[in-house]
Amino acid sequence: MSATDVLVIGAGPAGLAAVVELARLGLTSQLVEQRDQVGGAIYRRHAGAGSHVLLLPESHRRRRDALLQSYAAAQTRVTPLMSSVFVGVDQDQRFLIDNRALGCVQSVRPRAVILAVGTVEQVLPREGWELPGVVTAGGMQVQFKETGQAPQGRVLLAGSGPLLLALAAQLAAAGNPPLAVLERAQPLASAWWQAGAVLQVLRSWPHVQEAALYARELWRARVPYLTGWQVQSVQPAAEGLVVQACHSSGVTRQYQVQHVALHDGLLHNNTGLPACAQSDQRLVVHAGDCREVLGAGAAIDDGRRAAQQVARHLGQRCDSAVLEQALARAQRTQNALAQLFHAAPFTPTANAVVCRCEGLRRSDFDQLQVAASAHEMRLSGRFGMGACQGRFCAHHLSELAHQRGIDFDPGALNGDVPRWPLRPVALTALAAYAEPEGDAPCAA
Amino acid sequence: MPDTESSVLYWGSDPVRFSPGETIAAALQRHGVTDLGAGVGELHGRYFCGIGTCQACLVSVSGASAVEACLTLAQAGMRLSPALLPGHPDAPGAGA
Repeated sequence: MSATDVLVIGAGPAGLAAVVELARLGLTSQLVEQRDQVGGAIYRRHAGAGSHVLLLPESHRRRRDALLQSYAAAQTRVTPLMSSVFVGVDQDQRFLIDNRALGCVQSVRPRAVILAVGTVEQVLPREGWELPGVVTAGGMQVQFKETGQAPQGRVLLAGSGPLLLALAAQLAAAGNPPLAVLERAQPLASAWWQAGAVLQVLRSWPHVQEAALYARELWRARVPYLTGWQVQSVQPAAEGLVVQACHSSGVTRQYQVQHVALHDGLLHNNTGLPACAQSDQRLVVHAGDCREVLGAGAAIDDGRRAAQQVARHLGQRCDSAVLEQALARAQRTQNALAQLFHAAPFTPTANAVVCRCEGLRRSDFDQLQVAASAHEMRLSGRFGMGACQGRFCAHHLSELAHQRGIDFDPGALNGDVPRWPLRPVALTALAAYAEPEGDAPCAA
Repeated sequence: MPDTESSVLYWGSDPVRFSPGETIAAALQRHGVTDLGAGVGELHGRYFCGIGTCQACLVSVSGASAVEACLTLAQAGMRLSPALLPGHPDAPGAGA
């Protein structure tokens, strides 16, 4: 049995803020992080020699530095488990951690758990999205932060949402501006009739400053920001990829590139996670973007709020009203942004891969005759059975099913009982599992 | 980047240089390796989400069980191969 009070999974902004707040409240925590360093995708540090200038609003930089400083100051009450992956909860309610640094699975029975595993990027199933060379915008951005180098060769960004603007500006500032940003929605046009949403976004001064910073860079680098355009297909070519794009008016255009980054928004992420729950034995809380996608600033507030909820569960008195208000403001801003970036519904073509892990296309779905529920689609069609456990296909499958008159929540694709392991685990690591005594790690 | 044996790993027999502290995925990307080998349903492995969620970048290190290239730190002398080794039921060419 572990001696620490709280298990926190994920060392991004929400998880870090949670352990800092727990420490401030006098509670100890174990912090599980899949990478070798804290910060999450958003605060990924440059590896290797030299410095890397990332185009970033000053407010983001200050917030990051403050969080990392307070984490450093809280370390006497935090036990970090780095290069360790949360793989699930077993039937005895043990939280299982694959400690890849030690090569063994460990278990924890905490009094409270804060899950802060971050968001899942949404990518609509266009033809060719599964090809090597096609990445998510977040995937391209996190690798760029780590290496300090923009991808070599021609780059095209497509999809929808503010992240495309940020990435385009960052690539441009690093010397490799993308050929274009293809935005499915019409955020500039809809601003005329979505005056309320515009006002709501304008009320958030940091968002305005951030947009201006990126717009200035795109203007300087002459990167075309094309709204109402979408990618129809990506095809492999002799040297890279050929992208077929079309405008809502029917005009089409072709791009020859080496890299395509796609992004269709961010989704909360509860795939395979134990649900939020409170019992005498244990409190489970979700925090940050995995609970609701509100951005890094709000994730910090949400991590602190989760820590305070845990403290109350453990008998302390504290009040989260100020944090609740800040989160409500962030929610209003995100809702307004979602309104401005609202795009027409998307229907995958017959040849488009819907479930990548299992290599299943829209036509495979159409041929499923007997599947009348999420459960049957999984069992008879193998949809959502793959290694991503439906994180990338469940929403699309739910949409396709809806068109056939079958309604189910995307989460239902996973079944009622979370399946573990959530991630690949080496049999040697499972074999090395030993029931822990105190906080001693297993023998490597 | 120091050009020494201490910062080289291998994709098959192909030497790939890396900077200490970066992931396998970052090293392969710089080296121009985007196709991480044939996988299920005639699709190919590739770097995609960068945060371990999509599981599309699984590779095998020294023939061991699969790990996410986007999470695993590059280390000198690593021998990398596609996650689905020949003989695996889902690997291309395997008997049905």
